[in-house]
Amino acid sequence: MIKRTLYFGNPAWLSVSNGQLVIKDPLLKDYKDLAEKARIPMEDIGLVVLDHQQITVTQTVLNMLLANNAAVVVCDDRRHPTGMLLNLNGNVVQAELFRHQIEASEPLRKQLWKQTVECKIRNQAAVLANEQLDDAYLLELAGKVQSGDTGNREAQAAAWYWPRLIKELPDFRRFREGPPPNNLFNYGYAILRAVVARSLVGSGLLPTLGIFHRNRYNAYALADDIMEPYRPVVDGMVLKLLRRSGVPEELTTEHKGFLLNLPVTDVILDGKASPLMAAVQRTTASLAQCYKGDQRKVLYPSLP
Amino acid sequence: MLERFNAYRIMWVLVFFDLPTDTRKERKAAARFRKDLQADGFTMFQFSIYLRHCSSRENMEVHQKRVESLIPEKGHVGMLSITDAQFGRMKIWYNAEEEEKEVPQQLELF
Repeated sequence: MIKRTLYFGNPAWLSVSNGQLVIKDPLLKDYKDLAEKARIPMEDIGLVVLDHQQITVTQTVLNMLLANNAAVVVCDDRRHPTGMLLNLNGNVVQAELFRHQIEASEPLRKQLWKQTVECKIRNQAAVLANEQLDDAYLLELAGKVQSGDTGNREAQAAAWYWPRLIKELPDFRRFREGPPPNNLFNYGYAILRAVVARSLVGSGLLPTLGIFHRNRYNAYALADDIMEPYRPVVDGMVLKLLRRSGVPEELTTEHKGFLLNLPVTDVILDGKASPLMAAVQRTTASLAQCYKGDQRKVLYPSLP
Repeated sequence: MLERFNAYRIMWVLVFFDLPTDTRKERKAAARFRKDLQADGFTMFQFSIYLRHCSSRENMEVHQKRVESLIPEKGHVGMLSITDAQFGRMKIWYNAEEEEKEVPQQLELF
């Protein structure tokens, strides 16, 4: 089932009443009938983005969101996503899965990383193809990814991909601190990361232990790894947004609203179209199976 | 992209009830039923008519089963599930003026 995404960009007072998330206008919070903006069933919520300095949240709201495996993304005073809240007890068999994760053999991890990078490069090729750009080089690279990506095909693909992706900006360089439109990519990736991290926890996995890059000082290393093949979906959305509204200095609610449709954007998984949020859940479930030793291939998406 | 949320897949579950309120026990059971419906995400459309928006058929079945498990001992309860397309054709008047229904969206910006 597709869960709902709630974005709060204005002052709000959030509380729980009878299993429903109650959203009130804080200026009118003492005026019961006027203040209430909406009531949303807690169990229908998958992602909450808190993007205003005047949002007040009660403890029960956080508890119940976590109990329903929703992810909460918190933004700072510059309206950039800075952190997320996930539950610790995502899945009944998680203790067992954590053990499998920690004890995962190096050959398995190198295999999983190979699959991850190969899929990422194929999806980057698909984005280029959708832009009527030449994807032959990337497809060739994808076929040459080795176990553990020892040839670092990922970096080679990135070096080809980024300068060509945005036809209107041939000098574009992708890095987090870079000038716009890097801000659009950052926002999209932050949402993707939250969706992936939430699914990992829901599948009983620790988002901290990456497949391959294990020494990162990063609480979400595994989320960063698993989101790789999904990044091109964000890239495609950012391209659409750039065509529609140009390069933004600051992200507006329109930009964020567009990017927040990421969880319901279609990808192809196992031959069928699936909303991204649901596809990610299947990816993380298949990853758990790999850690358990029940299968060797992670279920990754391709782009429509 | 948003084909998945087309009006023939999204469902609404409507619950209609007429519960006795003569004894204290009956009133308690009626109140309990109302509270349980609300806890399950049903909202009041009119007195004794509650509805819930469900984003898929599978989700609808979950809530249908839940309602069945909550039916009180005494009283008359009806449950009807319709597609969002059918629900959209409902006309609503408040004080003789036509009103628009509020439909939950997957993404909501507050």
